[in-house]
Amino acid sequence: MNKTKVSFKVNGKEITLEVSSKERLIDTLRERLDLMGTKEGCGIGECGACTVIMNGKAVQSCMILTGQVDGSQILTIEGLEKEDNKLDVLQEAFIEAGAVQCGFCTPGMIMSSKALLQENPKPTDEEIKEALSGNICRCTGYKQIIEGVRLASEKMK
Amino acid sequence: MIDYDLLTTKNLDSALDYLDKLENVKLIAGGTDLLVDIRKNVSRLHKIDYVLDISNIEELKGIQKKEKYIEIGSMVTHNMLTKNIVINENFPILVDAAKSIGSYLIRNRGTVGGNINNAATCADLVPALMALRAEVVLKSLSNQRIVPIENFVIGPNRTDLKKNEMVTYVRIPLLGGNYYGCFQKIGRRNALSISRLTMVLLTKIEEETFRDVRLVSGAVTPYPQMFTKTIEVIEGQPIKKINIEDIGNAVSEEMVSITGERWSTPYKRPVIASLIKRALVNVIKEASDNE
Repeated sequence: MNKTKVSFKVNGKEITLEVSSKERLIDTLRERLDLMGTKEGCGIGECGACTVIMNGKAVQSCMILTGQVDGSQILTIEGLEKEDNKLDVLQEAFIEAGAVQCGFCTPGMIMSSKALLQENPKPTDEEIKEALSGNICRCTGYKQIIEGVRLASEKMK
Repeated sequence: MIDYDLLTTKNLDSALDYLDKLENVKLIAGGTDLLVDIRKNVSRLHKIDYVLDISNIEELKGIQKKEKYIEIGSMVTHNMLTKNIVINENFPILVDAAKSIGSYLIRNRGTVGGNINNAATCADLVPALMALRAEVVLKSLSNQRIVPIENFVIGPNRTDLKKNEMVTYVRIPLLGGNYYGCFQKIGRRNALSISRLTMVLLTKIEEETFRDVRLVSGAVTPYPQMFTKTIEVIEGQPIKKINIEDIGNAVSEEMVSITGERWSTPYKRPVIASLIKRALVNVIKEASDNE
């Protein structure tokens, strides 16, 4: 197995690494960059717990080899933290709407929602549901999560 | 055991050069099928020596309207298709097919080229592309050939791709006026659903008569196929006289003639009949509204 040299940005920080040919983006984020906010659920692209934003698009980091991300910009849940330690408007809204129960799906939900609001700051409920169609929650229930995204959209006015 | 070297390139010529010089190369684009198969340690991947990443080849990410056709780069993702104005204006059935794939996250990564190249029984774009009489542009280092998609997908997970070739573009001929289409899919749920049965109907309706009918199955047959016998029944019929029950029966019979009787046939017979009936009702309504 060969090693591939990749340079990419994670949460604004330039990273250069040599990665093995099987290393997935989620492995790199969690095990090498210590960014544990991104979770691994199913590992086969069905649950969305590992969602990050890559070049403005929400993607599942278990479905990408790190060798593929050279030159990309990656945003993880940790990258939403502001300099003054304040939470992102989506994180505030999720708390307010009761959209977090066990919390395992939350980073993925937030990153899918973040990509949506960046592209479409005033989504309809249908558009929110579509954007979250790849994120599964097994305990909170989707109603509060959709409410959280709606609330964040209103707060962004 | 799956063991490979990863090759990366941002340039089409260098990708074709790798394909020309190396053996046992598997391409990766969105990775939405391949990474699942690697994780499952699928035995047919044991013989690969290289995985070649083509997801960053910018020249294959465009959608361009030419004089007679629209050319879609093989690295265009499903979401790029669904959001593209030219595709929405010209081929709404392709948009419906792309929207039915996986989830929003999968559609941000999965590509047109990957869907065609994997040629899965349940591939959602392939039946729509067949109905649209799309052609696949295949490039190798020294050659280019253009093959109708019907001749490219030749079996479940089987294509006519040569080992040194790559799918670079899909060309879809422009339709002209009075064409109406409908994409019907049955899956177990809305999102993240693998197609169980798919039917794509595309037809011209002129002087209230069905012309140039195209009807393609997906998932229900081993690979997407044109339902030629049913097409003959519909072709030339006036929309007001068509007996949709008869067409439903014709589709069920044609399905069984391809697949044989299976344990699932008692379920699939009425369901596939319903899909074509729905599709016919939809296109007739759309044509009538358009008058």
